[in-house]
Amino acid sequence: MRSFKRKRQALDTLQTMILLVVGIFIALPIYLTVINTFKPSNDIIGDPLGLPIPPVMDNIVVIIENPYANIVKMYGNTIFLMVTGTFFTIVISAMAAYYLARKKGRLGEFMKIYFLAGIMVPYVIVYLPLCILLKKAGIPLNVFSLILVMVSSSISFSVFMYTNYITTLPKELEESAAIDGATKTQTFWKILFPILRPCTAAVMIFVGMGFWNDFQTPLLMGQIQTITVGIYSAVGKYSADWGIVFAYVFFATVPVVIAYLCAQKSFVSGLTVGAIKG
Amino acid sequence: MGKKKKGISFGFALPAFVIYTGLLVIPIMMAFYFSLTKWNGFGKMEFVGIKNYVNAFRDSRIFHAVENTLVISIVTVGFVNVFGLFLAIQVNKLSLRNNFFRVIFFIPFVLSSVAVSFVWKSILSYTGLLNGILEAVGGSEWIGNWLGKRESAIVCIIIVEIWRILGYHMMLYLAALQTVPEELYEACTVDGGNAWKKFRNVTLPLIIPGMSVSVLMSIINELRVYDTVKILTDGGPGYDTETIVYNIIAQGFTNNMVGYSSAISVVLFIVIGSVSVFIMYAMRKKEVEM
Repeated sequence: MRSFKRKRQALDTLQTMILLVVGIFIALPIYLTVINTFKPSNDIIGDPLGLPIPPVMDNIVVIIENPYANIVKMYGNTIFLMVTGTFFTIVISAMAAYYLARKKGRLGEFMKIYFLAGIMVPYVIVYLPLCILLKKAGIPLNVFSLILVMVSSSISFSVFMYTNYITTLPKELEESAAIDGATKTQTFWKILFPILRPCTAAVMIFVGMGFWNDFQTPLLMGQIQTITVGIYSAVGKYSADWGIVFAYVFFATVPVVIAYLCAQKSFVSGLTVGAIKG
Repeated sequence: MGKKKKGISFGFALPAFVIYTGLLVIPIMMAFYFSLTKWNGFGKMEFVGIKNYVNAFRDSRIFHAVENTLVISIVTVGFVNVFGLFLAIQVNKLSLRNNFFRVIFFIPFVLSSVAVSFVWKSILSYTGLLNGILEAVGGSEWIGNWLGKRESAIVCIIIVEIWRILGYHMMLYLAALQTVPEELYEACTVDGGNAWKKFRNVTLPLIIPGMSVSVLMSIINELRVYDTVKILTDGGPGYDTETIVYNIIAQGFTNNMVGYSSAISVVLFIVIGSVSVFIMYAMRKKEVEM
């Protein structure tokens, strides 16, 4: 019995050690970013691991004042894109999912497959034709057209999530609302949509984070200066000035990390639940 | 069924249908069409049939891109699935320690891949932090141009990819593990099963659906790898570290070869679609057998 206990303890220590090693590997780049944001660039190469004592704000001042790659403007673009885009995605996807979940017959089945097929598409196939299409239609590439493009790329996933969710809900609620004389639109927004909240939260995190972090789409659809594209075009000029690079990375990631730490459970479920249901 | 109540109107699906069709489905059909032409995006379009496809199969630059993508995908997919499952088993029990590591391991996945690639670039560049540390501790002979040579650059890309998604796949396996009922382990212990037997006979068969999802997601993601490569090496030196998606974008946007680029993307489209269907089919069969 005692040897069993000792074996258990040894195993536990071994486990902790493995987790620590992986933890250091995961945490090191994050640690480097945080400390080196507050160091002058020439100190970084000499002593990358040491704490910044005293902390220096030079890098942050540079990226806030830089007129060409202004971090404040990048934040503005990205937040506008993320909020508007996520809002539209949720509204139109939830509505479409209501149709898919309740429509019977061949047309309903076809539409389900039609919308879901988009999940498997490698999005890179779309950029070039889309640029040509928008140009032909006389639509300029700017933040507004970028929102539409990014919404179109998130529809499949969101519709899929909502359809699965609505299908599991009992129809009695809608039926009793219909008896009370509510139209389908009223029933959907007043009764159904509030019940969809857990699903909306997951879609919001998945789609919102995708909008915040996306690089390819804003880069190729008109080089819109979101945070990711902004860093990319700014850092070119400071290629080896690591202090500036770290400061940009710090500002690009801090909002997401804070959001994640505040709502870990929702982030993990929002980002994995779609995969698991698939 | 329900003749008395009116069916639901297509109006609900209309906005999503219009945007999805106009900005995703039609461009995909255009890509299929472009792939049969020779076109630079503005001049005269010439219909060439399957010539782009034939040329793509003979193009050594594309061959390298495919080779790189496969190497990155196979190593990363294998590693994150085996090691991700291993880590999930380590942190499966609820405890303060396990919860702490779960939170930490997942962080990279919520960060922008561009931002984290820049951090890794600052570490791995010739003038970067790793070489700086080596210099400082007197290991000058170990200093290397890690991102400047094909083999080591590919290894760097793989390390960054693993760093980014390991925690995500751990979480996928964790979710799968939590569907395994505790009683089954107890039954196995009573029958004298050791840890390996428990894993082989209880855990593995029950997490097959979760595993298929994790494997599928990692394959689809790695076949599309782009951001990491764009930032770390920009495809270089030369075309040495290009991946398929990198090549498609370079051909299409830098070289203005609309037809050629479209042909490669159509092939990728078909490959990813088939891989998805195949894996789901294979895993479903396996599930029945076990």
